[in-house]
Amino acid sequence: MSEFLNENPDILEENQLPTRKEDSTKDLLLGGFSNEATLERRSLLLKIDHSLKSQVLQDIEVLDKLLSIRIPPELTSDEDSLPAESEDESVAGGGKEEEEPDLIDAQEIYDLIAHISDPEHPLSLGQLSVVNLEDIDVHDSGNQNEMAEVVIKITPTITHCSLATLIGLGIRVRLERSLPPRFRITILLKKGTHDSENQVNKQLNDKERVAAACENEQLLGVVSKMLVTCK
Amino acid sequence: MTPDELNSAVVTFMANLNIDDSKANETASTVTDSIVHRSIKLLEVVVALKDYFLSENEVERKKALTCLTTILAKTPKDHLSKNECSVIFQFYQSKLDDQALAKEVLEGFAALAPMKYVSINEIAQLLRLLLDNYQQGQHLASTRLWPFKILRKIFDRFFVNGSSTEQVKRINDLFIETFLHVANGEKDPRNLLLSFALNKSITSSLQNVENFKEDLFDVLFCYFPITFKPPKHDPYKISNQDLKTALRSAITATPLFAEDAYSNLLDKLTASSPVVKNDTLLTLLECVRKFGGSSILENWTLLWNALKFEIMQNSEGNENTLLNPYNKDQQSDDVGQYTNYDACLKIINLMALQLYNFDKVSFEKFFTHVLDELKPNFKYEKDLKQTCQILSAIGSGNVEIFNKVISSTFPLFLINTSEVAKLKLLIMNFSFFVDSYIDLFGRTSKESLGTPVPNNKMAEYKDEIIMILSMALTRSSKAEVTIRTLSVIQFTKMIKMKGFLTPEEVSLIIQYFTEEILTDNNKNIYYACLEGLKTISEIYEDLVFEISLKKLLDLLPDCFEEKIRVNDEENIHIETILKIILDFTTSRHILVKESITFLATKLNRVAKISKSREYCFLLISTIYSLFNNNNQNENVLNEEDALALKNAIEPKLFEIITQESAIVSDNYNLTLLSNVLFFTNLKIPQAAHQEELDRYNELFISEGKIRILDTPNVLAISYAKILSALNKNCQFPQKFTVLFGTVQLLKKHAPRMTETEKLGYLELLLVLSNKFVSEKDVIGLFDWKDLSVINLEVMVWLTKGLIMQNSLESSEIAKKFIDLLSNEEIGSLVSKLFEVFVMDISSLKKFKGISWNNNVKILYKQKFFGDIFQTLVSNYKNTVDMTIKCNYLTALSLVLKHTPSQSVGPFINDLFPLLLQALDMPDPEVRVSALETLKDTTDKHHTLITEHVSTIVPLLLSLSLPHKYNSVSVRLIALQLLEMITTVVPLNYCLSYQDDVLSALIPVLSDKKRIIRKQCVDTRQVYYELGQIPFE
Repeated sequence: MSEFLNENPDILEENQLPTRKEDSTKDLLLGGFSNEATLERRSLLLKIDHSLKSQVLQDIEVLDKLLSIRIPPELTSDEDSLPAESEDESVAGGGKEEEEPDLIDAQEIYDLIAHISDPEHPLSLGQLSVVNLEDIDVHDSGNQNEMAEVVIKITPTITHCSLATLIGLGIRVRLERSLPPRFRITILLKKGTHDSENQVNKQLNDKERVAAACENEQLLGVVSKMLVTCK
Repeated sequence: MTPDELNSAVVTFMANLNIDDSKANETASTVTDSIVHRSIKLLEVVVALKDYFLSENEVERKKALTCLTTILAKTPKDHLSKNECSVIFQFYQSKLDDQALAKEVLEGFAALAPMKYVSINEIAQLLRLLLDNYQQGQHLASTRLWPFKILRKIFDRFFVNGSSTEQVKRINDLFIETFLHVANGEKDPRNLLLSFALNKSITSSLQNVENFKEDLFDVLFCYFPITFKPPKHDPYKISNQDLKTALRSAITATPLFAEDAYSNLLDKLTASSPVVKNDTLLTLLECVRKFGGSSILENWTLLWNALKFEIMQNSEGNENTLLNPYNKDQQSDDVGQYTNYDACLKIINLMALQLYNFDKVSFEKFFTHVLDELKPNFKYEKDLKQTCQILSAIGSGNVEIFNKVISSTFPLFLINTSEVAKLKLLIMNFSFFVDSYIDLFGRTSKESLGTPVPNNKMAEYKDEIIMILSMALTRSSKAEVTIRTLSVIQFTKMIKMKGFLTPEEVSLIIQYFTEEILTDNNKNIYYACLEGLKTISEIYEDLVFEISLKKLLDLLPDCFEEKIRVNDEENIHIETILKIILDFTTSRHILVKESITFLATKLNRVAKISKSREYCFLLISTIYSLFNNNNQNENVLNEEDALALKNAIEPKLFEIITQESAIVSDNYNLTLLSNVLFFTNLKIPQAAHQEELDRYNELFISEGKIRILDTPNVLAISYAKILSALNKNCQFPQKFTVLFGTVQLLKKHAPRMTETEKLGYLELLLVLSNKFVSEKDVIGLFDWKDLSVINLEVMVWLTKGLIMQNSLESSEIAKKFIDLLSNEEIGSLVSKLFEVFVMDISSLKKFKGISWNNNVKILYKQKFFGDIFQTLVSNYKNTVDMTIKCNYLTALSLVLKHTPSQSVGPFINDLFPLLLQALDMPDPEVRVSALETLKDTTDKHHTLITEHVSTIVPLLLSLSLPHKYNSVSVRLIALQLLEMITTVVPLNYCLSYQDDVLSALIPVLSDKKRIIRKQCVDTRQVYYELGQIPFE
């Protein structure tokens, strides 16, 4: 096994990190009044003009607004009465949109941790290929009452990297702050990438040890610095 | 002036000096006037001052001399006789022994020296006195100033044109010696400026400088580098840069300094301080510029070695930047300032040119030496960037040098290769020579086309260059983004080389860019090609149209599902083509016109094909954007263009707008196309507006096949948009009939009309109300007793037309609508209709340079908000019915949504409590509107937010959770606000909410929408970081 598996990684540029397709389109569209038909047209429009300031887009929004401004008077909210389905949709403005959940997936996890700074280099973990999208597994049914799990395998740049535990700690802190409590987080070194693989893996997933580390102000300060670059 | 008066004046002067200097000065002027008119003599002044001169009091003696000197300084240069000059001279000389009077004596000599009849002997004697008796170390800076001034005056009188050569010779050497004596050890910046200037004058004008050159140089160079920092409240405002510039100018004033300057400066170049290095380089640059080829011939080897070292050590631009704090500090002061790296290159450039102009054989020797030293870098691919920059800098000198550089250099590195790394270096380094070319021959412009360029060697390599770049772009794998982007950038740069490329070659490049922009998904390639096409179209607009735009347009199919292929390889999307058209046609006259015409023709065909709504939507949106983006640009769409476009496309548009379901039955397509019709009419010549109005009225109202007033017709929206574009002063006799007819039609048919149809008629009411029908007639149609939905809508839209023109009655009418908010049956509807008053209709905007198309006041929203705000607030406070309260809040929130935030500022203290209550309203739109205003408030009114943070935070936390009325937008903005609060509320306040926020937002991490989860993560991270100091 090569001792320098990731010693000189091809440093990725920011725009080369894997991203979710069409994320920007959906995010841009959220700002306005929306229904299914409008959303479809706006998506079409954004393909030819990537700008929310486009006069065409504004005209479409005004048109939708004016067409829908006259809606039946609604009932006052009352604990004892359940709203009808149609009222729900019309009031929320994007009822169907609400009902389509975005499940937590590997890309979402990757987006959370790829921009963490390496403690040694002025680069992010994603750029150094310490974290990779293909090494992230998410097991989540979407049911809020069921436990979910995230398993992340990290690739240190050198096999004797003494910062592996610090990097792992940074990732864990980031995820614990970002994921619902029902998620269990497991961080592992990728097989064969570190001299002390078993030992480090134990440390990274020992709850008591992690909790103790988070009470160390100096250590927490280092982690804090690593997380500053998260987007 | 009598002797008594003179004595009186003397007493007055002495009494006022240093106390009321203007009075003293005035008195001295009076005495001078008397001397000029010869009622007294200067010697009489001396006699009058005798007792003061002999006084035991030092202050009195100084004052007396100042009095005499002040009067002397005001005396005309040719007034004193030779004898008087001699007597005064001896008088001052006798006072020189009195050390306490040194400043005043020197000042007196400065006043005396320019006098016409002071003899050369006396000047020589004065110089001797300064040389022998004046010891600068014993005097303050203000005293040391005067010897410099004396020397300046002597120089200006005797060494400038007009003085006899014989006289000059007598004092030439003495003057220099005296200057060296006076200047030695000077430290005061003000005096130094004089010293540097005198030094320059001496070396530029005096004789026998050769004998003193080392001393003159030393008295300058001991000050290099300047480290002076101006003290605070400096009355003289001398800057570090002033001293540097003056010193540099003096050092470079004579070629006699060349040897010393070069050797000393090259020593200084080894300094580690970037600031010192920069000063040294800029001074060297000035030396090369001023000293000429002869001195370079003697020093170029040393210069070259030093500069080469400097350049080769700076391999990275970032490093270069970091090493030039001077550049950053001075950037705003001197735009032309060089970085250290650039200064080195510029020096080499000037060296080469000076040497070439001085002696071509020497230049040949220099260049051969440089080339021999740099050749190995090409062989071993070491420091290639610096190597090419040096050679291109040399080549920027003149045409002959350029040709020599190209002939010598290009064979060494301009070799095609398929090896990616080498190709990348080749293209990057070739770029420097393009810069040289542009420096020498100029930049391409429309005016320069056809102007021949002097023969240049680079032209001989043109085919090879194009081949290399073409292969890099078209043969490289799509994954080789960097190389292909570089190729595009380089092609774009070559377009700018005057006279280098033929139109055929430009056409080839346009073709490459067009094919790449269509087939490559990479953003870098896309924007590089886009920039390239834009750049080319500035000069070769016709070529871009013929080769690129025509191709793009021709690729558009008639059927949406039809495949589009380029190079028989790729499947291109229609959206991609339209995006490219929009991106690079902006502000290009031919490109915009032809695009609009073609797309309208295409739309006409596409609309007739089934299932073409989406495709029509794209085409219409593109046409609309082309109009909208260029509408105010006279260079693109002037009156003639507008008329030509209208004639070209309007028949096609009317054909489909009246017949094709893809348009008529699609809300978006119909509305947007109506907006296109607005643009087709907006800028046609004024003289045509009346004719067009009559024609449209016939078509839509009286005799045409549309006739919107007979039965509900969805094309009312088109008529409304067209009317919006036409001149409001046109004769429109049937305007009230149309208005009345529209109202009647709405009241009669509303229950059976589609929302789109109704909206078209309502907008028509708006247009007529705003610009054609009088306010009185409009108001006459109001029926406040009819509370049907349609009548309310009619009145709202009519009122909007009045509000937009800030009509006198609109305020009162608005208040009547406010009254309706308290009606339990219709209040809820009316509250939503309030948004109509302030919603922006794009065809009723104010366009710059166009005043005829509407009666809209720019600040109508501000006025409207001001009119209704207090009434709404007081009504809200006075009612106890929650439903009616909700109506007031809804109306207010919806108006706020469209009102510029600066209009809201003055009302924020009254508004704020209502905003907080609006957050509880059972309507997501109201909540969003309130949150948006709260966001603006947070940004602009920190104190107000801080005062209410204990109320705001819990509210925002509750709005972050999924709820019937917490739409995605509500939740998102609430989270954003929570994050913003940490930036405007003091830390200690925020810390008290840290735990609450972090725990309350845990459920939000499970929100169904990813965008909410993401914002929640960001907000929580900010709260985790409160007070946390990152470990350094």
